[in-house]
Amino acid sequence: MPKRLYRSFQALLLLALCIFFASKVASGQLAYYINLRFVPLTIFGIIFLAVLAQTMFTEIKRSRHLAVDDDEHDHEHTPASANLWFMLVPLLIGILIPARPLDSSAFSTKGFNTSSPLVGADTSAQILGADSEERNVLDWIKLFNLESDTSPFIGQKASVIGFVYFDESLSENQFFISRFVVSCCAADGFAIAMVGEWPQTSTLEQDSWVLVKGTVQSITLKDQVVPLIKAESVQPVPVPEQPYLFP
Amino acid sequence: MQETTPRQSLSRPLIIFIAIGILLMVVFSMIPFDFFTWLWGRLNVFATVFLGIFVEAIPYLLLGTLASGLVEVFIDRGQMSKWISHRPVPAALAGAFMGMIFPVCECGVIPLTRRLFNKGLPLSAGVSFLLAAPVLNPIVVLSTAAAFGWGQMLAWRMGISLVISVVVGLVFSVEQDAANVLHPVLTLAHEHDHSHEIYASFGEKIRAALLITADEFFEMGRYLILGAMLAAGLQTFISQSTLLAVGSGPVFSVLVMLALAILLSICSTVDAFVALGFLGTFSFGSVLSFLVFGPMVDIKSIIMYLQVFRRRAVVYLVAIPFMMSLLAGVIFNYLQP
Repeated sequence: MPKRLYRSFQALLLLALCIFFASKVASGQLAYYINLRFVPLTIFGIIFLAVLAQTMFTEIKRSRHLAVDDDEHDHEHTPASANLWFMLVPLLIGILIPARPLDSSAFSTKGFNTSSPLVGADTSAQILGADSEERNVLDWIKLFNLESDTSPFIGQKASVIGFVYFDESLSENQFFISRFVVSCCAADGFAIAMVGEWPQTSTLEQDSWVLVKGTVQSITLKDQVVPLIKAESVQPVPVPEQPYLFP
Repeated sequence: MQETTPRQSLSRPLIIFIAIGILLMVVFSMIPFDFFTWLWGRLNVFATVFLGIFVEAIPYLLLGTLASGLVEVFIDRGQMSKWISHRPVPAALAGAFMGMIFPVCECGVIPLTRRLFNKGLPLSAGVSFLLAAPVLNPIVVLSTAAAFGWGQMLAWRMGISLVISVVVGLVFSVEQDAANVLHPVLTLAHEHDHSHEIYASFGEKIRAALLITADEFFEMGRYLILGAMLAAGLQTFISQSTLLAVGSGPVFSVLVMLALAILLSICSTVDAFVALGFLGTFSFGSVLSFLVFGPMVDIKSIIMYLQVFRRRAVVYLVAIPFMMSLLAGVIFNYLQP
């Protein structure tokens, strides 16, 4: 491929990538892919891609003014054009496959936990400081994990958002309220779930997002005491702006 | 007239592309619906995980290739060999300590190292740098401290990574001829035809550096994309939960964490937060081995290594850190179970 053409494609692809990232940031879909802590890095990436694309465009314009015979010795030196084709892959995947956050279809390989292995720097004191209705699925699971005595939590009000997952380990009127926890990007996401109990459970759909309000109880699953919400109401909600929880 | 040749060569892949597309549609229309929903779910996981790795890695790759571009225009050929000793031990140590200065992770360090080799960096120093930089740099120190506190995990992670990178550097110092280890660098005419006097002004230098950055971004990006696809594919079809279920016992748990480090392909700047999640189910030693090995070797870095090093060298680059991380993990498991 002659250098001018190679440079033109490079410029277009850099611009396309830049626009692709920018549109993901603007639409909020970036939250489907990475922990939002890293958004500043992505924004740096967008700006830098724009700078590179601009450099390429000026380079193409400059080379147009240069002597024509410059093209001659360029032929053998351009890098493989396959480099360019590869950059189309993420663009095509991003455009052709509708963006969706990770859901229960990832459970078969990524698995899901009803008890969070996340301990480390967190203490239950931080979570206990907040109002019980402010706690999310991860907070509840951490609490039940960290505290040996869970009786103080029984009967507390809870209000959590998650997506519905049905599992054979539960009875007819129960379902899992699940969330993915993402530290860095979707690649390290793992699912956690607490149990919801509601008489009209059969009307719910797998993977639909719901806001569950009710009181906290406990249930024993696979020899572990895990939190359960006896639901007073289960409302369908749109996919949250931040579909993943960040530890 | 010259314009027609590239157009023709472009239209051929396009026609093949469309033909494959139509063929796929015909094949798909013959498959039962259930399979579709299953496949759609898999595809969604694949796309999300792939784009997750890609979006996360691109800024780091840009930084790494920018560093490489700046090195190309601002450092003279052969200058590195004047700065850094050619005796094996000082060279390997110098390489590892260089890693502490450059804030690059595993995607960015590979193009930068290749460039430094070009500027006369001794082989052993470069290899030590390659393995040390993704762990020992300030960003990783901070993120590890944020996850685990300023304690043992941080100290051992840094210490063991330093030892491994120096050891591998020393192993490579046995090789006298760098050409036996490295692939020749394919560069644009631009880079070697013009000597430095041509970039007269500072602006010219920056412009040249940016052009190199762009070329290298595409070159390395290709392997990043391949690696991310492979990692996402494995995550879509290999069950992580069974892998974790297998992982008990002082040796097996370390092996599982090492396998996971390869499989997950997470950037070293953030892997500490992921490792934190394993601390509940895995021992200190196993998590430590994950933190030491992950930044040095994973699917995408192996594929990118293959671009710079000859195959035999990549075997050493993967196998020695693997054995040493395994050993470190197992020793810790026996000392503090």
